[in-house]
Amino acid sequence: MGKFAEVFLGILTAMGGFVEIGELTFTLNAGRRFEHALLWIVLLGTVGIMVYCEMAGRIAAVKHQAVFSLIRERDGFSAGLLTLVAANIVNLLTCAAEVGGVALLWQLLSGWPYRGLLLAALVFFVIVVWSTPFKWIERIFGLGGLLMIVFIVAAVALHPDWGSVAAGFVPSLPRAAGGRDILMYAFYGVALLSSIMLPYETYFYASGGIEDRWKPADVTLNRIVVIVGFSLGATLAASLVVVGAEFFAPRSIDPALPGSAALATADAFANVGLYVALLGMFFAFAGAAIETALSAAYNLAQFAGWPWGLDKRPRDASRFALSWIAVFVLATAVVVTGIDPVSVVEYSIVFSVVVLPLSYFPVLAVARDRGIMGPYANGALANVLGWFYLALITVAALAAIPLFVATHAGQG
Amino acid sequence: MKPTIELLRDVLDHDVVDVDGVRCGIVDDIEFGEGADGVPVVAALLVGPGAWQARLPALLGVVSAWLFGHGTTRVPWSDVAELTQSVKLGRRAGELGLGKLDRKVASWLKRIPGA
Repeated sequence: MGKFAEVFLGILTAMGGFVEIGELTFTLNAGRRFEHALLWIVLLGTVGIMVYCEMAGRIAAVKHQAVFSLIRERDGFSAGLLTLVAANIVNLLTCAAEVGGVALLWQLLSGWPYRGLLLAALVFFVIVVWSTPFKWIERIFGLGGLLMIVFIVAAVALHPDWGSVAAGFVPSLPRAAGGRDILMYAFYGVALLSSIMLPYETYFYASGGIEDRWKPADVTLNRIVVIVGFSLGATLAASLVVVGAEFFAPRSIDPALPGSAALATADAFANVGLYVALLGMFFAFAGAAIETALSAAYNLAQFAGWPWGLDKRPRDASRFALSWIAVFVLATAVVVTGIDPVSVVEYSIVFSVVVLPLSYFPVLAVARDRGIMGPYANGALANVLGWFYLALITVAALAAIPLFVATHAGQG
Repeated sequence: MKPTIELLRDVLDHDVVDVDGVRCGIVDDIEFGEGADGVPVVAALLVGPGAWQARLPALLGVVSAWLFGHGTTRVPWSDVAELTQSVKLGRRAGELGLGKLDRKVASWLKRIPGA
């Protein structure tokens, strides 16, 4: 494939894979509760995930090292193990939510019982990952996720006040704010930031770069894919905030389930809007389920030094293969209990922000080290942004659980 | 190979890769011996639960010993061929007793089509 086609496809898959069930929930809710006032968090989070994915991707291209082998080397064994356990609990919960989301979508379309569909989803995921090469998994689910663009079209069709949308990109406190409102605003701000900067994205992105056999010459491809692809993904996330503000807020609808989220596009474009949104959500949730399950297996294999990668036959990376299958089984077991996938998302999003500083510190430490990275080490901009975001996510990590408790998980 | 090796930075917790390029563990601990002049020298790399358990807080070490056992594989330093981002060995994992569990799990998975 030509370089141009590769970059183009990379950008599209990065955009299509940007949104998953947690981000969908929190962007729509942020818009419903605070109109456009939290749009600046979308911008802030997107630059953050760009900075760290770019660094992790660059390390993968230059040193062929993935995030968890850096964590083990740089954080040491005990702190590394703590990060591994926390990151994989978050991966498992996120995967459970995505599997549950897929089953809910299938239920909407078929009317069949939810638990049976969960088991069908489990079988579907195991067969797809077992039999599909990595590149095709990336493409099928990334490109399918582009159907979510229907939400961008819906946001425009809702004729928002563009002045107010633009003002949302400037940090501000909500109007007529009392103490309670500020806590809620802070909770949604932290949750939205976390949902955009979900740690598995960086683990998966770097491991994917190694699966795709990136070389040092690919650092430019990495940079373009991250900057352009994530910017387009952020446009989608921002349009979900706008849809929350323009469609769900005036009607007092809580967009808690995938079906209600699709109401906005159904209202704008009737049946076509409904089906495109449901199909887009299917690819987005299914892609994220696969990414989180693989990410958990990558993390474990990289931390323990096992052979890993979907480019190897399962017999040549046996414990890795067993691990991702186990994650799908456990994730399905979590949602088969009847727990609401969206409440699982809320927990996983809040706890994932706690994992971020421990995951990102080693990435920054290696990416800025000239002794290791040579001419590919961070420039001044990457260093300044890297330190800024490390400080920001540390503050967010410290605030996340107290805010979760104080606001009753954002219920007020 | 570098003239000076910083064991904590360049060896401990790095991937161990065999002569065929197969990952076969992580350097979980380093064993020292006594050189000719009584100077400590690196004798072997230790890989496996028995080696990393010693690095955990006491209670966790006990729990993980119960879960994963104490198995440790000793890789003589003389079998290390090269130090890069990973520790490259001059022999195959199987000859050194590394990657046993991977081969065992592989023997189960082989029964599934496509494995």
